[in-house]
Amino acid sequence: MAVIETFGLSRHFGKTAAVEDLTLTIEAGEVLGFLGPNGAGKTTTIRMLAGMIAPTKGYAIVAGHRTDRDVEQLHEIIGILTQTPGLYDRLSARRNLEYFASFYPSIELQFQVEKYLKLMGLWERRDSRVGTFSKGMKQRLALARALVHEPKVLFLDEPTAGLDPEAAGEVRHLIRTLREEGRNIFLSTHNLNEAEVVCSRIAVIHTRLLALDTPEQLRRRFFRRQIVVQLEALDARVMEVVKKLSFVQEVRWEGSQLILELSDSERNRPELVKAIVEAGGRVIGVSEKQYPLEDVYLRLIREEKGNES
Amino acid sequence: MSRRRIRSILLKEWALLFTDVNSALIVTLVPLLVVGQGIVYIWLASKFAGGSMLTTQVFQIALQKLVVAIPGVAQLPANEQLLVLLLNQFNFFLLLIPTMTAISVATFSIVEEKLSGSLEALLATPVKTWELLLGKALAGAIPALVMTWISAGVFLLVALGLGWGDLSRFVVTAGWFLTLFLLTPAVAILSFMLGVAGSSRAKEPRGAQNTALIIVLPVLALIGIQITGIVWFTPLLILLLALAIGIADFISLRTAVRLFRRESIVVQWR
Ligand SMILES: Nc1ncnc2c1ncn2[C@@H]1O[C@H](COP(=O)(O)OP(=O)(O)OP(=O)(O)O)[C@@H](O)[C@H]1O
Ligand SMILES: [Mg+2]
Repeated sequence: MAVIETFGLSRHFGKTAAVEDLTLTIEAGEVLGFLGPNGAGKTTTIRMLAGMIAPTKGYAIVAGHRTDRDVEQLHEIIGILTQTPGLYDRLSARRNLEYFASFYPSIELQFQVEKYLKLMGLWERRDSRVGTFSKGMKQRLALARALVHEPKVLFLDEPTAGLDPEAAGEVRHLIRTLREEGRNIFLSTHNLNEAEVVCSRIAVIHTRLLALDTPEQLRRRFFRRQIVVQLEALDARVMEVVKKLSFVQEVRWEGSQLILELSDSERNRPELVKAIVEAGGRVIGVSEKQYPLEDVYLRLIREEKGNES
Repeated sequence: MSRRRIRSILLKEWALLFTDVNSALIVTLVPLLVVGQGIVYIWLASKFAGGSMLTTQVFQIALQKLVVAIPGVAQLPANEQLLVLLLNQFNFFLLLIPTMTAISVATFSIVEEKLSGSLEALLATPVKTWELLLGKALAGAIPALVMTWISAGVFLLVALGLGWGDLSRFVVTAGWFLTLFLLTPAVAILSFMLGVAGSSRAKEPRGAQNTALIIVLPVLALIGIQITGIVWFTPLLILLLALAIGIADFISLRTAVRLFRRESIVVQWR
């Protein structure tokens, strides 16, 4: 069952397009990573899906509600972690949570508040002013606020931005816990590791949707396998010879490494090594190149920019 | 549900209001200043100028109208006539209290939430715009009203202490009660709504307050009109005035709700 569906969802601010023609479907139980650089339209998309701003074109359905029409019902069943925590610094953690929880009909207020303060590890500090909290604690409290009414869909806008590695790790751990509970989560981030670790699928966005796939599929789709030959030193003669080999499709130097794409990366390998050695190259090792998702992302964005110009 | 939400907003606003030194000071100091200034001014006028002040044209006109409104005044000696006149005029000075208090509370509560980002989180909850505004309006109007009434009480007590007690029957009139219990609430709500309107454009509380303080001008004009005796505000006139401001309240509430469109807050207020 689809939890979020968007149909040509677009939002313009004057002449700038923040989001253009976004069409995607997110199934129940998924954690979707919404990945893009600054200004890619992540926050704008989340705001449209959360019924906070209207699309200028297209529409979206979240848990059965049109986000531009059934705003009130929608707000009862979604939770959102906004990009800034937006808490009341002069109130205690508990008061903050009680306040926001009081707007949802039919919830066990005290029970829910206690449950999430405990889950987020803030129970001990429940009566301290939020102004005295660290960034990580504030973020966890904001996460508690997003969850306190047990929303069907959770939107997280860059949940670890600005946190130190330890605090970010804690937040990621919490998100993984939520994923295991089978919650529907829409998570925007510009951190690839985060998306890879936490998400079941990743949408790459840069105003337009550039790709939507599992982390593994994204890799496979955007990078053919590449062979790395580590040599003792850079050698022009080796390059000459290798370029002439019929099964070498692409080749380049990276330091003293040769990076190659072969017609058949398994079977052509012995031939390749033989040719290099015969040309006088001193081989230290042969391996396959590993791509971090980062490269997928940079490459997609570069392609998009290429298309624009 | 709405009642629970409004109550929740109200209590939270007060918790924030009274933990902020500036706002707490405004709520308590403004009334003190208004009352203190009024008393000093009246005391100085009656002590040093006395009945002779009545010979100026301005006071002549005002006094004539006062005598029409409250005939008993004509029997009093000149310097007591002056006192009654000044004490009556102080009525409208009290309007400065709800005006300034409500504006400060409104702008403070909205601009602070806007800047901290809590407003955005709030707008993603099922709270309705009118519930939010009404909660905030009450949070501003109730302290404003209470402070005005306390100030009026303090003013009367001080007047008694200064030995002006015999004159109270000429001061604590229907007009006085109408001003306190009809005009003041109407003015407090209008001030609050203007505070909201000012906040929707401003980037910091001071800017919002400056915009909203425009409402102080009509109040000052009202005081001026009464002092110069151009119009003497009889109970009927005060009633009409309260009614007019009540209508303005309604219009400004609708304007505020419109200005408070969630989309524009999320998009423009950043
Ligand atoms: N209220 C607004 N008025 C005008 N332009 C806007 C507004 N909000 C967003 N934009 C523009 O829309 C584009 C997308 O912005 P958005 O905030 O959605 O990006 P983002 O992916 O969340 O970026 P970040 O990583 O910085 O949070 C940007 O070019 C931005 O300048
Ligand atoms: Mg953003």
